[in-house]
Amino acid sequence: MSTGTQTEVVMPQMGVSVSEGTVTKWLRQVGDAIGRDEPLLEISTDKVDTEVPSPAEGVVTQILVQEGETVEVGTVLATIAPAGAEVAPAAPEPAEPMPAPDVEAEPVAAAAPPEPEPAPAAAAPAPQAAPVSPAAAGNGKTFVSPVVARIAAEHGIDPTAVPGTGTGGRVTKKDILTFIESGAAAAPPPAEAPPVEAPPVEAPPVEAAAPPTPAPEPAATAGPAAAPAPATPAPAPVAAPTPASPAPVAPAPAAEAELAPGEALEPMTAMRRGVMEHMRRSVDTAAHVTSAIEVDMARVVALRQKLKPELAAQKVNLTYLAFIARAAVDTLLDYPWVNGELRGQSIVTRPYINLGIAVALDDGKGLIVPVIRNAQDLNLTGTARAIQDLAERARTKKLLPDDVQGGTFTITNPGSFGTFHGTPIINQPQSAILGTYALVKRPWVIQDDLGSDVIAIRPVMNLTLTYDHRLVDGAYAGMCLRDIRDRLESWDEAAY
Amino acid sequence: MAVREAEPVGSLQEVKEAGLDREDLLGIYRSMMITRGIEERGHILYKQGKIPGSFYTGRGNEGAAVGVGTAMGPSDVGTPLHRDMGVHVTRGVEPWRVFAQYMGREGGPTQGRDGNVHMAVAELGLHTMVSHLPAMLPVATGMALAFKIRGDRRVAVGWFGEGAAARGDAHEAMNFAGVRQLPVVFICDNNQWAYSTPTYLSYPVEHIADRAAAYGFEGVVVDGTDVLAVYREARRAIEKAREGGGPTLVECLTLRMEGHAVHDDAFYVPKEMFEQWAAYDPIERYRTWLRDHAGMTDDEEGEITATVKRLLNDALDRADESPLPNAATLEASVFASQEDLDTPHHK
Amino acid sequence: MAELTYIQAISDGLRLEMRRDPRVFVLGEDVGVYGGAFKVSLGFQEEFGPWRVIDTPLSETAIVGGATGAALMGMRPVAEMQFADFISCAWDHLVTVAAKQFFRGGTPIPIVVRLPSGGGFSGGPFHSQNPESSFAHIPGLKVVCPATPHDAKGLLASAIEDPNPVLFFEHKHLYRRIKGEVPEDRYTVPFGSANVHRPGDDATVVTWGAMVHTATEAAGELAKEGFEVEVLDLRTLIPWDKERVLEGVQRCSKVLVLHEDTRTGGFGAEIAATIAEEAFEQLDAPVMRIAAPDTPVPFSPPLEKAFIPQVEDVAKALRELAEY
Repeated sequence: MSTGTQTEVVMPQMGVSVSEGTVTKWLRQVGDAIGRDEPLLEISTDKVDTEVPSPAEGVVTQILVQEGETVEVGTVLATIAPAGAEVAPAAPEPAEPMPAPDVEAEPVAAAAPPEPEPAPAAAAPAPQAAPVSPAAAGNGKTFVSPVVARIAAEHGIDPTAVPGTGTGGRVTKKDILTFIESGAAAAPPPAEAPPVEAPPVEAPPVEAAAPPTPAPEPAATAGPAAAPAPATPAPAPVAAPTPASPAPVAPAPAAEAELAPGEALEPMTAMRRGVMEHMRRSVDTAAHVTSAIEVDMARVVALRQKLKPELAAQKVNLTYLAFIARAAVDTLLDYPWVNGELRGQSIVTRPYINLGIAVALDDGKGLIVPVIRNAQDLNLTGTARAIQDLAERARTKKLLPDDVQGGTFTITNPGSFGTFHGTPIINQPQSAILGTYALVKRPWVIQDDLGSDVIAIRPVMNLTLTYDHRLVDGAYAGMCLRDIRDRLESWDEAAY
Repeated sequence: MAVREAEPVGSLQEVKEAGLDREDLLGIYRSMMITRGIEERGHILYKQGKIPGSFYTGRGNEGAAVGVGTAMGPSDVGTPLHRDMGVHVTRGVEPWRVFAQYMGREGGPTQGRDGNVHMAVAELGLHTMVSHLPAMLPVATGMALAFKIRGDRRVAVGWFGEGAAARGDAHEAMNFAGVRQLPVVFICDNNQWAYSTPTYLSYPVEHIADRAAAYGFEGVVVDGTDVLAVYREARRAIEKAREGGGPTLVECLTLRMEGHAVHDDAFYVPKEMFEQWAAYDPIERYRTWLRDHAGMTDDEEGEITATVKRLLNDALDRADESPLPNAATLEASVFASQEDLDTPHHK
Repeated sequence: MAELTYIQAISDGLRLEMRRDPRVFVLGEDVGVYGGAFKVSLGFQEEFGPWRVIDTPLSETAIVGGATGAALMGMRPVAEMQFADFISCAWDHLVTVAAKQFFRGGTPIPIVVRLPSGGGFSGGPFHSQNPESSFAHIPGLKVVCPATPHDAKGLLASAIEDPNPVLFFEHKHLYRRIKGEVPEDRYTVPFGSANVHRPGDDATVVTWGAMVHTATEAAGELAKEGFEVEVLDLRTLIPWDKERVLEGVQRCSKVLVLHEDTRTGGFGAEIAATIAEEAFEQLDAPVMRIAAPDTPVPFSPPLEKAFIPQVEDVAKALRELAEY
């Protein structure tokens, strides 16, 4: 209310419901002396007329509200300074105790996350993707309860792929827990989830416990999708060791193993169990065949050099993976079965591509396959940005349930340690998976201007397409790979 | 038991018989001056915007309040109301704490949790009032019940106004007290106006004290502007209760010299009433009596005036230094813990 | 150990307290000579005398207000309302003075108000209510609702010990119907601690008072159908054991909140809202709530049966939860 040198005189509140007052008469003028508690002015309010005694002794230095004016309670009416003191202009704003709005962030569950949406996985984003009719999985109802959504996200499972026994075929907590546990013999207590207070709906982020398990979604199959390149480390972290080979690890049952001298027993983590399950199931389900093709990446390399700084200015890291993803997505539009799915006796195709990018988590904690929805709508920059965002969020455990559901095709990179070939396992319930490998400088036969064969040093990358031969035939897969290669080798900068 | 109308106090001798010596008499004057001084300064603070909410005074009731307060014994307890600042002062509340209370500061007895005269210092035997009147009367009866059960020679004093007398709490409290002959004295501050409601619209009988008979005890009407008369009657009632004689209803008649609260200018009170009762100002009356009957000198008077002024100035300064309460403490004391029970005043 | 009825446990507990602490005394209508309308204080006046078992006039405000005054002077009064319904006459005092005195003045009010509550025997609108929720809403008051003889005795001791005003709701329909093992010595049951009356993992029923027994019976039926229901007895409402409730929700993911009080604004709403706020991601079904309909308590048996939640009603809701 007062500075060191001045005292403010404010409009008092004469009664609980009074909010304003009128100055009716000043008993002193600017320059006049006044004693403490001496009447300084008269006011009038709804309830009563009264005098206002001066709060200080001194000289009236300013009168800020004139006779006849009505102001709110708390408004500064005048200022008084000790006789002889320097006069500082009073701040014209009301000395009102306007409490700074207490922006107390309510620790309310962050409204943000999509949680409340009952529309689960199947709901395709923009494209009219018709809500899928009950599939063989018997999952007709699309409502996913909060606890099921959370468990699904934590394990990277698509709830629509879980058989549901609840009302209308809904997936119940028991159903999804059984789904996760099925295969692991003992394990009675289903997923132990977070402690009592539900974490603010955040992302079920990618915990160690994340992906694996029988779920169809997470590409436990592959390794992280990273641009293999020598140039920059890619968005995705370390390649996980993965099961390139079809043979899943140890046989499921056999809980207690007998130990020979020197042998040690390690308990299996939930994630390991999950991976075990998924691998086994995938191999048992799909007829895996792999075709490979070699791609001359010279154009891409050059283009990437050129565009990198531009994109870096937008904080986007341009990786080889972005180019490959872009080429693959465009191609898939021509090969719907590679992007399709077998459900029972039906073939499901879609006009959109939800592209899964396998990301390995740090410390070998496992894999997660976040999904770029409607990848066909993104250009090169958009693709690069989406990949970067997902990888970052995967690493920092900020993925949302939607981020790991609904994929239609997956890209994986088993090649980040230098391997030039592999045979990934398909990410159920998809029909194919693209593998990228090390970018290696090779001596290559190319045509010179005159059409003669010459040897040049070219950066070459092997790409594999592992496909489900129940749906996709060799020729179809071969053509798909060829088109991807062609796009990469003839990349038209202007087009992307 | 008919209602007795008390005689005014006469000579110093009479007063001595009532148990007051000259020091006490000057002390009473001082208490009344402090009471009025607190409330006058409170007015100023309020108009300076330093007191939030409302502001109530008991101008004209200083005699009744100080009179009863002086008559209470050291271990007696009571529940004074908003016209009874004189009771708080007489029992020993420090004025700076009253100002702090008015201004909602931590140093006030309620630490900012309640305002204006909703305060009391339990160590002094006083317990804080509520807005719903006369809700404290059953509480006073309950205090007396405790004394009766334990055989304590202590008395509870409960205050109520002539307007509040209309509510059931008054009846229940007095009925229970009368039935059980509990050591409680009921003081009615009859200042003739309940906000804008005159007495004839508040009760249909001549005196509130008339009702005492219905509860089986004595009712007394006394001139509330005569501090010594009030003292005498209150003392009589309190000692009677202490000796097991049961309750008494003492009605102190005065006029509320200001509005119901500071925002009320009491336009509904006839000017003549103010003029008439101004002549009975309790402090003026007593000052005159002291000069006439107890030989109070100019020096003595001057000294008291100066002392009170200094006391209150210091009190204002000290209260102003008391901080506003920290909002983080708001939820802290809704519930008491066992430790809170272990305080002497609570026994 | 002895097997006592619910009312015997209360009486026993009260008697032990009065013997233990001379500051404890009882006041209310007909509590002395008559021994109390429900005979809780039968024999007390003979043992403790007329100044510790006080027959008051018909004056709820004087009773409760008087208790407050006595408590301020160091006593430990236990006031009895003849029926919980009559507390409305002293509502003003409880809410205005008792609840707020410590907050404002720093002086605790250690009073207990015993309230025979609940219906089920054609008591009609004024002898059957469960008025707990309006008081639970007032800061400064504690609300206690024992369901078993063991808890009744222990919670009463805690209530008398507590330095705050405690509203002790004794469900009178349990008085003589429910028996249980009760230790002979003095013991306390803490406030804010729920008790698992019946364990289960498939769903949890959060309830108190007489409904604990109704829920347990319904759970028994569901058990035959392979659905194990936990019955969680809150025992006290202010404070209530939020942690334990949320733990049950986390484990079972299906929850039913049940109370005999009327539905709108009943304390179950507070519990349900808290569950939705703090355990949303644990839920596999909506939070269900069963309570009496929003009417005064009716008198005629078929009406009363439709009012008070019955075993069939609870079982039906549990089945819905099971199938959801």
